[in-house]
Amino acid sequence: MIAGAVGTGWATVRHRFPRFAGTFVAVFLGVAVVAGAATLHLSSQPQAPARYGQSPVLVTPPDPGTGQDSDRRAWTAREAAGLAARLGSLPGVTAAVADPWFYVQRLVAGRATGDAQAALVDGHSWSSAALGGYRLTAGRPPRTGGEVAVAGLSPGATTDVLTSAGPEKWLVTGTVSGPGFYVADHEAARRASGVHVIGLTLAAGAGEVGDGAGRAEVAAVRAEVGAEGVVRAGADRDSLEPDSVTRIRWLGAQLLIALVMLGAFATVFVVSSTCALSAAQRRRELGLLRAIGATPGQVRRLMYTETALIALFAGLLGAPAGAAAAPLLAEPMVGTGLEPAGFAVTSQPTALAGAILLGLVVALAGVAAAARRASRIPPLDALREAAADPRAMTPARWVAGPFCAVAGAGLLASVPALPLELRSTAGLGAAMLLLTAAALLSPVLIVPLVRVIARPWRNTAIGMLVRESTLTGVRRVASTAAPVLATVGFTVLLAGTVATAEAAVGIDESAKYPAGTLLVPDGTPGLSAAAVTAQGAEPTPSTRLLITHGGATTGVPASGSVTGPAGTGDGPAPGGEFLVLDRYTAAELDARAGDVVRVRFADGAVTSLPVRAVGAEVQVPVEMVRRHDPDALTRLVVLEEDAVAVPGGRFLPVQEYVREEVDEEGRLVDLFLVALIGLTAGYTGIAVGNTLLMATAARRPEFGALRLAGAGTGQVLRIVTAETLLAVLTGAVLGTLVAVISLAGIRAAFAAEVGAEIALVIPWTITAAVTAICAALATAAAIVPVLRRG
Amino acid sequence: MTALDRVDARFEPGTFTAVMGPSGSGKSTLLHCAAGLDRASGGEVIIDGVPVGGLSERALTRLRRARVGFVFQAFNLVPALTAAQNVALPLRLAGRRPHRGEVAAVLAEVGLEGRERHRPSELSGGQQQRVAIARALVARPAVLFADEPTGALDATAGAGVLRLLREAVDRHRQTILMVTHDPLAAATADRVLFLADGRVVDELPGSAGAERIALHTARLEATKTVSAAVRTDGSGAAVTR
Repeated sequence: MIAGAVGTGWATVRHRFPRFAGTFVAVFLGVAVVAGAATLHLSSQPQAPARYGQSPVLVTPPDPGTGQDSDRRAWTAREAAGLAARLGSLPGVTAAVADPWFYVQRLVAGRATGDAQAALVDGHSWSSAALGGYRLTAGRPPRTGGEVAVAGLSPGATTDVLTSAGPEKWLVTGTVSGPGFYVADHEAARRASGVHVIGLTLAAGAGEVGDGAGRAEVAAVRAEVGAEGVVRAGADRDSLEPDSVTRIRWLGAQLLIALVMLGAFATVFVVSSTCALSAAQRRRELGLLRAIGATPGQVRRLMYTETALIALFAGLLGAPAGAAAAPLLAEPMVGTGLEPAGFAVTSQPTALAGAILLGLVVALAGVAAAARRASRIPPLDALREAAADPRAMTPARWVAGPFCAVAGAGLLASVPALPLELRSTAGLGAAMLLLTAAALLSPVLIVPLVRVIARPWRNTAIGMLVRESTLTGVRRVASTAAPVLATVGFTVLLAGTVATAEAAVGIDESAKYPAGTLLVPDGTPGLSAAAVTAQGAEPTPSTRLLITHGGATTGVPASGSVTGPAGTGDGPAPGGEFLVLDRYTAAELDARAGDVVRVRFADGAVTSLPVRAVGAEVQVPVEMVRRHDPDALTRLVVLEEDAVAVPGGRFLPVQEYVREEVDEEGRLVDLFLVALIGLTAGYTGIAVGNTLLMATAARRPEFGALRLAGAGTGQVLRIVTAETLLAVLTGAVLGTLVAVISLAGIRAAFAAEVGAEIALVIPWTITAAVTAICAALATAAAIVPVLRRG
Repeated sequence: MTALDRVDARFEPGTFTAVMGPSGSGKSTLLHCAAGLDRASGGEVIIDGVPVGGLSERALTRLRRARVGFVFQAFNLVPALTAAQNVALPLRLAGRRPHRGEVAAVLAEVGLEGRERHRPSELSGGQQQRVAIARALVARPAVLFADEPTGALDATAGAGVLRLLREAVDRHRQTILMVTHDPLAAATADRVLFLADGRVVDELPGSAGAERIALHTARLEATKTVSAAVRTDGSGAAVTR
């Protein structure tokens, strides 16, 4: 029975390939997108930093237990030294070296150079150079403050650098074979905020631990470390990748995941509409099969088999195509900050196999509805001359359409009553519901809309033909207009929401600062203490704290307070040690003013602090930040007096700064938008083109009759083109209308959130572009079958 | 509207019956009901001893596959399949792999040896109809139903098809029920049933000849409508009250 279905399925596929072209193209592109994205994603694996290249075993402090990967605790310098000494004496361990790192950035002509985020971990102790196998090629190791060993400079030279203290001039005592600034061990310990890594070198050598060599040593290290830390060997070392690199990979992964999801979803959509149309067109053939003894199950299996064969074929071609395209994207992704520098695409067979499999599953999911409907075709349909055109509005549409419309409208109406933070999400949800409703009800909505749009041409012959055949072929028009509606609506909604949100964020951010000028980092990760004091201001460096209260631990950013708890009216800080919590942290820890909490600082030191107040942000006295996080930098300074130029800092009006911040975020968001909208528009093009290709081919007799009635090929083409454009325009108008209504609701939500009036931004350019793409593809697909008839 | 009314007929094994009548007389409905393609709203249809009424769609399909063959006026073949594949289709749908030469033998029987690998588009109308007959006969069904099998063919091709049907009855004792409006076609049958307004109004032997049959058809008038029942039984196919 199965063999019969496969044989018949293969025969139909081979014989009627054009009928499956839509499915083929959709699956081919879907699998190519998924295979390419997955190849890029799998190629982007975290890697242990090169400076631990000769250290097969790395020990890190215990997990702080906050549940957040970004929260790390440190050992104090003393804890690290003690543990390193004990580990160094284990058999088979040649050395155990703490790696206290700190911020150093080279200054060239008063300007900071190099990657700002990477500079945060560029300063090291001299002894840690051994972990990377870095050696002196000239000179001697640094011994006192102000001495450094670096690559690329000869002993005796001086170099200008920027540290958290400010600009410094260091004497180069030695040339190193690897990257980084290496200072005397005690200097590094003084500058670093605690220790995050102890690296071990083994007598067994630097080869990867895990395949036999060094297993005993690792077990001994584990036993010695116990609960004092986490021992990482082999692939586990890769989790030590710097956060800045991990974040870049994460951003890239977000885009790739979005592409995979959208690709899969769009493929299901296109395959299901193609299969539904194709099943409707071959009702007689399927009826014949039923009449000569195919059970409903066999008809269903036939449809599944055909689609599976097409999907497999498309996948086998699409996966290598996607994988071949992936390396071309590596460079642009590095350039746009979505993959770290040095990112290279590797061959990923799992990605290919997974993509082919996903293509198969997705195609079968797409054909499911059509197969179920086809299996219910009665055998008598084989005898019907022409199967009656199925009604445009199915009962399911009548149920689901109004339901979505009411739910969407209700949600939109209730937005003002919702809590602030839920409003924009609810607005987007409402918009999605309304768009779905419009797509479901499009056969009903199209008739009046077509009458309105086609009104000016109602007295010409072509105008009349177009109008009437559109109104009688509502189902055909709806299957063209609905995908256009969804895409244009999606585009307007997404791009409009982002633009409106950016305007809102800008207003919101500006409100945080008094009007005036800001001193902000210039190519650096933050402002040094010297840069701030030069302005006559007190440095207020930001740090991270791990706060424990009642069994719960959380990691929070905190700033140094100069004046005492803000908003308490206490005046200058009374000298004591205290903590101010923000609302969220206080709620999370269930702590209130007067409670005493345990605080672990960046350097690993733990103290108990009283909660002085609950305010807008987490604060501790600035002296405590300086003492426990010497490497901390200040984010920005609001200038009250005249500005004094400093290295690593620049001056900006508040408005300008906020615009830059929003633009920086907006750049990535725009990139995502373009990728997602591009993919959606492409798929809509396929869906619309495929529908029209099949529908127009089926209408050949009709065009033949038109020709007999005296219409030339040119006139037939004009009729077809006009019909297609009318359908696309109807979809676009409907989609825009629904999206704009929803956007108005979302704008109101944003305005309430920010507390200021926000302009409604409608992205006309991208909307017009998407509509034009749809119109061009649709017209091409519609006129090709007409021309082929000749 | 009642399409078929108090039809009570029985089709003995190995007989060739033609059903005639003016348009709308219910002859197609009779065929569809008797063949289990359509369900009668009342009465009973028994095919080869199996009452059809209570069967599920799946069971009905299996019954059709095993006991019933069809030949339609046109659009008989799956365009994607070759002649041989079309003939083998009912067997494959039943989960059976055709024996070597089985399909070729049936095709040879209908005079199409050497055409196994041709697709329907490469065959003439008459040849296509003969492939359809081969396909209807390959599973050795209890009854073969033919719905205007010559309707779309010219006189020569039609005569060939009718000769094939006659041979199937004479050589293999095949039971055939054929709906037609062509007196020449009806004359090949053993007996001719005349339907009018959903009722069997008359009957002639096929040997009566095409002219008498044509005359009879012309005289047919509509009569009263009563309730219908359709029935077949063990010894072939029948439509009874």
